Amino acid sequence: MSEELRVSPIETREMPGKRRFAMVVDTRRCIGCMACQVACKAEYDTPLGVNRTWVPYKVVGKYPNVKKQFLPRLCNHCDDPPCVRNCPVGATYKHEDGGFVLQRYERCIGCRSCMAACPYNARFMLPSHRTYTPITNVVDKCTFCFHRVTQNLVPACVQTCIGRARVFGDLNDPTSEVSYLVAKNATQVLRPEEGTKPHVFYIGADRNQTEFGRDAYRKPEVMELERSAFKRHFDI
Amino acid sequence: MGDYVWFHDVSWHATYAIYFFVIGICAGLSFLSYGTWRTEALRPLREKAAWGSFALLVVGGLLLIGDLSQPLRFFNILNPAFLNFTSPLAWGALNIVAFGIASVLYLAALRQGNEVRGKLLATIAALLALGLPIYTGYDLTVHQSRPVWNTPVMPVLFVALAVASGSAVGAILAGANQAAQKLLREYMLWSTGAVGVILISILGTTNYGGAAQELTFMLMTTGTMGLIFVGIGVVAGTAAPIALLLAPFGRQQMGAVLAGVLVLAGGAALRYALLMGPQQLQTLY
Ligand code: SF4
Ligand code: SF4
Repeated sequence: MSEELRVSPIETREMPGKRRFAMVVDTRRCIGCMACQVACKAEYDTPLGVNRTWVPYKVVGKYPNVKKQFLPRLCNHCDDPPCVRNCPVGATYKHEDGGFVLQRYERCIGCRSCMAACPYNARFMLPSHRTYTPITNVVDKCTFCFHRVTQNLVPACVQTCIGRARVFGDLNDPTSEVSYLVAKNATQVLRPEEGTKPHVFYIGADRNQTEFGRDAYRKPEVMELERSAFKRHFDI
Repeated sequence: MGDYVWFHDVSWHATYAIYFFVIGICAGLSFLSYGTWRTEALRPLREKAAWGSFALLVVGGLLLIGDLSQPLRFFNILNPAFLNFTSPLAWGALNIVAFGIASVLYLAALRQGNEVRGKLLATIAALLALGLPIYTGYDLTVHQSRPVWNTPVMPVLFVALAVASGSAVGAILAGANQAAQKLLREYMLWSTGAVGVILISILGTTNYGGAAQELTFMLMTTGTMGLIFVGIGVVAGTAAPIALLLAPFGRQQMGAVLAGVLVLAGGAALRYALLMGPQQLQTLY
C-alpha cells in the first residue's frame, strides 16, 4: 500500500506545507504545582468541576522511598480524532493548518457523542451557568489555545509552566523545539493502541500511568463511594 | 492507595438506555405489523402494532431530543450543510425521520383500508425499522476505546432484542388468540435464544481481552451492575423466559404473557447495563 493511502485523509503530520502543532510534556520536570490548570481556568473561565487540562498523580514506590508522579492531561489534538468522526453535525472539526481539533459552539447540539468517542476523557459538557461567558450547555475541551497561537503566543499552560515541563510548537518544522525533543528523546503517547495518533508527547511517563490504573480493581461499591464524594465536592 | 483519581462524568446517561428500549419495541412492533401481511395468524395485531410502533417512535424521539443539552438545535442534525456522514448518529437521525414518514403514510393507508398501498408501506416501514436497532448498535460499536461496545455483534444484538421485545409486547396484545400466541411464542423463543448466544459471546471475548476489557467484565458482573446485567438481564430476562417457553406452561396464554413480561424486563436491564457498564471504567482514566 502506498504511503498516501496508509494515512487517514485528514492527517496533518508530515504533510508538506501544513503546520502540525504538538505539545511535549516532560514529566521529569513537572512538580505538580497545577499552575497550568489554574492558568487555563483563568484564560477560559472554565467552570468548577470541569477542566480543559488537569494534573492527576500517582504515588509510586514503597515507604519511605515514595514519590509522586504527575501526568498533565489535555486534549491530544489527535491526528485521526474519533471525536471528529463521531460528531453528527460537524461541530467538532479539525483545522487543516495546524491540526487543532476545534469546536463550533453555535453548532453543537450537545449529544455528547464526541465525549463518548474520545478515549482520553478530554471533553466535558459545560454547565448551564457560567460566571462571565454566555457559552453554556455545549461540549468544550482544550483548543491548544488556538486564539493565542494564531497571535504567535504559546498556550497559557505552556506560558505559565514554572518547570518548563510543557513545550509547544510545530512538529512539521524540523527546527522547532518540539521536533528536537521528539526526535532526541524516547516519548510516549496515551493509549497508542487506540490509533488516534495523539499530538501530546510525554517524556518519562510510566506505562502504569498512561494505562488504566490499578485503582480500577477496587470493589465497584468502594469506587462508587469515592466517585459520589468527588462529585459532591465538585458539582455546582 | 493515596492516588489522585480524576473522576469524569459518563457521556451518556440512563435516558439513552430508555430510548434504546423504547425504539427497540417500536421497531419490533413495526416488524410485527409487517408480518401480519405475510401470516394470516397475526392479522388481528396489524393496527394495534402499527399504532403502538408510531406512539413509541414519538416517545423515543422526544426522549432523544430531550436528552440533548441543546434540544432546540435538533434541527441541526437534519441540516444537509451540517450532516457528517461518518457519524452513526447522522444516519440514525435520517433513519428515524424516514421511518416516521413511512409510519404516518402506513397508518393513513390502514385507515383508508387501501390494501395494496398498506402492504407496500408496511414493507418500507419494516425495512426502515430494521435500521433503528442497527444504528443504535452502531452508535456503540464505533467507540474503538470502549470494551463491550466495540464489537461487531452489537447491531445484531440490538436487532435480536428488538424482535424479542416486539414479540413480547405482541404476546401481551394478542390476548386469547391461540394462533397468534403460537407464532409469537416461536418468535420470542428464537430471538431470546439469539440474544443469549450473543451475550455469551460478548462476555467471553470481554473476559479474555486486555486490562480494560477484563476490568469492564468485572464491573459488569459484580455489585449492582452485576445484579442488573447478570441477574435481571441474563438470568431473569433471557434464560428464564426461554425455560418458561419450552415448558408446557409456556404454551398457555398466561405462560406466554409471563415470558413476555420477563423478556421486556430483561431487555430494559440489558440495554441499561450495556450502555452504562462499559462507561464506568472510562470515568477513572
Ligand atoms: S484527545 Fe479526544 S477530544 Fe482531543 S482530539 Fe483526541 S479524541 Fe478528540
Ligand atoms: S456534543 Fe456537540 S460536538 Fe459533540 S458530537 Fe454532539 S454535536 Fe458534535
